Amino acid sequence: MRIEHLDTDILILGSGGAGLFAALHAVQANPDLEVTVASKGLLGKSGCTRMVQGGYNVALDPADSLERHFMDTIVGGKWLPRQDLAWRLVEGAVERVRELENELGCFFDRNPDGSLHQKAFAGQSFDRTVHKGDLTGIEIINRLMEQVWARDIKRLEEHRAVALIPAADGSGLAGVLMVDIRTGGYRLARAKAVLLATGGGPTMYRFHTPSGDKSCDGMAMALRAGLALRDMEMVQFHPTGLLAGPDTRMTGTVLEEGLRGAGGWLLNGDGKRFMAAYDRAGERATRDVVSRSIYAEMRAGRTTSMGGVYIQMSHLGPQDVAKRFPGMVTRCADCGFDLAGGRVEVVPTAHYMMGGVEFEIDCTTALPGLFAAGEDCGGVHGANRLGGNGVANSTVFGGIAGEEMAAYVAREGAWKDPDAAALDAGIVRAERPYGLKPGDLGALRERLLGLMWDEVGILRTEVGLCRGLEGLAALEAELGETGLADGDRAFNLTWHDWLNLESQIAVSKVIATAALAREDSRGAHFREDFPLTGDLDTTRFTRVIAIDGADLALDMVPVAFTTVRPGESLIDGDAGAPQTVIP
Amino acid sequence: MPSAGSPAETLSVEVWRGRDEGRFERFSVPHRASQTVLDVVTWIQRHAEPALAYRFACRVGVCGSCAMTVNGRPRWTCRTHVSKVAADGHLRIEPLRNLPRIKDLAVDLAPFFEKWQRAQGRFTPSRTRYDGLAEVNPDAPARKAVDAGIECINCAVCYAACDVVSWDDEYLGPAALNRAWTLVNDARDADRKGVLRAASRGGGCHTCHSHGSCVEHCPVGINPTAGIAGLKRMSLLALLGRGPE
Repeated sequence: MRIEHLDTDILILGSGGAGLFAALHAVQANPDLEVTVASKGLLGKSGCTRMVQGGYNVALDPADSLERHFMDTIVGGKWLPRQDLAWRLVEGAVERVRELENELGCFFDRNPDGSLHQKAFAGQSFDRTVHKGDLTGIEIINRLMEQVWARDIKRLEEHRAVALIPAADGSGLAGVLMVDIRTGGYRLARAKAVLLATGGGPTMYRFHTPSGDKSCDGMAMALRAGLALRDMEMVQFHPTGLLAGPDTRMTGTVLEEGLRGAGGWLLNGDGKRFMAAYDRAGERATRDVVSRSIYAEMRAGRTTSMGGVYIQMSHLGPQDVAKRFPGMVTRCADCGFDLAGGRVEVVPTAHYMMGGVEFEIDCTTALPGLFAAGEDCGGVHGANRLGGNGVANSTVFGGIAGEEMAAYVAREGAWKDPDAAALDAGIVRAERPYGLKPGDLGALRERLLGLMWDEVGILRTEVGLCRGLEGLAALEAELGETGLADGDRAFNLTWHDWLNLESQIAVSKVIATAALAREDSRGAHFREDFPLTGDLDTTRFTRVIAIDGADLALDMVPVAFTTVRPGESLIDGDAGAPQTVIP
Repeated sequence: MPSAGSPAETLSVEVWRGRDEGRFERFSVPHRASQTVLDVVTWIQRHAEPALAYRFACRVGVCGSCAMTVNGRPRWTCRTHVSKVAADGHLRIEPLRNLPRIKDLAVDLAPFFEKWQRAQGRFTPSRTRYDGLAEVNPDAPARKAVDAGIECINCAVCYAACDVVSWDDEYLGPAALNRAWTLVNDARDADRKGVLRAASRGGGCHTCHSHGSCVEHCPVGINPTAGIAGLKRMSLLALLGRGPE
């Protein structure tokens, strides 16, 4: 098999907030370094940073504090976050937001007096979310892209990483095997330091919000390389994803939380409001509660014709709704739905993975030479991620990773000989579908999405999770027998669909394994057979590794309360309660 | 692949296959009540032609990866409902115009972003991460001008729609100049003169013929022609010594 070779000082996998910040900070730290960004899609256009609607949490107001942001994060994460990482997040967010505004030129919304506007967001005890309307992500990623394009940073666009290749001498990572999507050929990039910043993205659920190109490749590669994943049972569901019917890419994408906050109603298939029966806050209850309630209605069969529930805004006045939520109203209209004046069918939808690769505060991992940042990583958010902490996470740690990689390269960076057996194995894996009889990959994908939704989804039980694990093993075996016709490999999305499924199944098994082990309910994880949250003082997190790249092994590891213990607080008043009513 | 059924049940879709040399291939695709052009392309890849090349990412009109030429017009395919463009049940889908082709429906956007840079489409800082944030009156006229153009997602629909781009390789195009316009109006930018110079030299704002194709096609309702007119005006004033600081 022909392989193109390339050597670069620093290789960054992913071009969202984490990857692009890492690239900028690496060349700022040392302009002589050759930095290369590889992206599955176009630079800055794939991944989810761009999709951020809400905003960026940062304690800037003199009446706010790092301690307050930290406590909100810990309490929101149900005492599961790694506290040093959470502290680094809230501390780093201050500098990063200033960098975004002052050095990259992002313009965040202002108050009439010219000062920064910070809005209320769920689960926070201070109005601290910096934003640009409801399109904050576009502003952040556009400004980052421009700066990266402006510098001598190499781009490998439409390059899909398929394997982390260790050094032949066992001293760490040598490089990354990729498929150049445009040509269908292989490329081995050796690098002195590599950043894993591909983003997570729970796209293995029937309904999901992330960018359609995401398939947990980063976590799957890390798992195969022997790294541990933590908190993988923690998959955040957003309550209101658009339901547009079969074979629609739009299905699952988010209808924003503000709709419920503004007084929107959720109606079941009988046209009746139901949230009051589940929570006193009704439609304004938290994401996890509303998701579970909608799911319960669906399971009871009280659904719309397409199997969801309705969101209705028209009682607030269609014109007012159109004025207040123009983005959402237009998006629905483009798909043929009238959000302002009619009813739109919605379902809960898988949104974000709190879990991921275990990493250190300097973004190093257990594999020398491999760094990680962003949604590929676990430990920052714990059991739940606050809205607005996601883009803070990717940009704060992405920047740190860039600086740390530059320092690492100066200190001990060297190009290493790749392990030939690992390289061969990577190619054999990527080649697999071409040696197999073509089959119905689409049907396989539908079954994976259905299985994860039904058995490893919003409401979980031991019996269901076991069924899920059995089903995943069966799907994995079936994928191993489902091929595609060889021929034109250039830009062959169906080959990549196959590789996507392989990553998704590998990571799904970790999610189900961790969910089965966690016998309590907290944050995003709900066990119907263990509906209560366990003792906080003895909180443990799940850690999963793949032994020899295959069989999974799980540990429950005690959380070290390094800064604050359950029952203690760094602030006056309650953490996690909104300061003002969310509009 | 279903071929039976009335036009209401089946779409007749012609898709460009190949690169510069190629042909249209015809597919019959089930028509659904909720269906975007991207859904049609996806259906073809999943059910009829596994090797069909196209690009998409976010699915909701924020990444600008999926623009194609649909029945002769450049559009985001993820947000274009089939009923809006295929009343007669017929779709003809081609790659975007004015950009190098990669394969089938995918084009290379690199020239588009290179021109964005040639227009100095990037912020030059006047403060650092260690400083506080600038006070900016959100209602100031310059700020309003920025706001009107800033939500561009660089999908290149305007670039594909522009006839001047197709005649003149050097022309920077509407999106790059629109970005330059937002920068010359941004009081925080330390090199607005430089942006104006970059945007008004050969291939810059004075090359625009004000046909307004960009305005007509912009999926987010930006008016690049107005911004380009603003750049023209400002560059003339600069000759008189009345340009940006």
